[in-house]
Amino acid sequence: MSDSELVILAKENRNYFGVLYERYFDLIFRFIFKRVGGDEESSGDLTQQTFLKAMSSIEKYEDRGFPFSSWLYRIAQNEVNLFFRSTKNEISIEIEDRQIHHLLEEANLGSYMSESDQEKLIHQLNTLPDDSKDLIELRFFQELSFKEIADIYSITEANAKMRIYRVLEKMNKNWNV
Amino acid sequence: MRKFTLNKEAKKKEPTKEQINRYKDFSRLSHEYERLVKRPKKPLYKDPKLFLYLFLLGLILYLMYFESK
Repeated sequence: MSDSELVILAKENRNYFGVLYERYFDLIFRFIFKRVGGDEESSGDLTQQTFLKAMSSIEKYEDRGFPFSSWLYRIAQNEVNLFFRSTKNEISIEIEDRQIHHLLEEANLGSYMSESDQEKLIHQLNTLPDDSKDLIELRFFQELSFKEIADIYSITEANAKMRIYRVLEKMNKNWNV
Repeated sequence: MRKFTLNKEAKKKEPTKEQINRYKDFSRLSHEYERLVKRPKKPLYKDPKLFLYLFLLGLILYLMYFESK
């Protein structure tokens, strides 16, 4: 059964939401797990919270041609951001070496970086505004495609690309300052 | 607050299937959903607007009764 068919059924009977839950739980858990730096307990709670919000507002869901998962990603994204704002502890998000290299190439900062330059880059990432951080995280650390990012924000793929490249351009400009 | 750090171990941080399954529980979600939608309504005496409305209605009826006498 397709997602759209299940959504129609779930609007009438919430038990059908269980199929969507089974279908997307792992995906959303993995997404949140990476975003909260591998904190298992918080990932479990936030995933459950995401599905609770989705289940209680399924009536408002409109099929606008985006995949159902992008709606769940959007709710999860909001939940994670609320969590970041509410928590007093610093959440450390680890970035792998190859992810840094991908970011370097896309930002035209070269393909090799010394350790001190890498530290500088990390510092620059940490000083970005939250919405820019989100975009960089989704593209380079969650490794989502432009299409997937566009679906989450309900924008066109070209627009998603433009927003990300604007952040990279800003990073590039600030690099030599 | 989030802070990016460099992972020098080059190990991918992915949750295991067991970790995911530990939290996957649709019956718990259904239970939480039921609790959320069937939340008891505010009692009358705790709703100041409704209380005032009922009080005024009572007062008007009382005055009307008093006038007709």
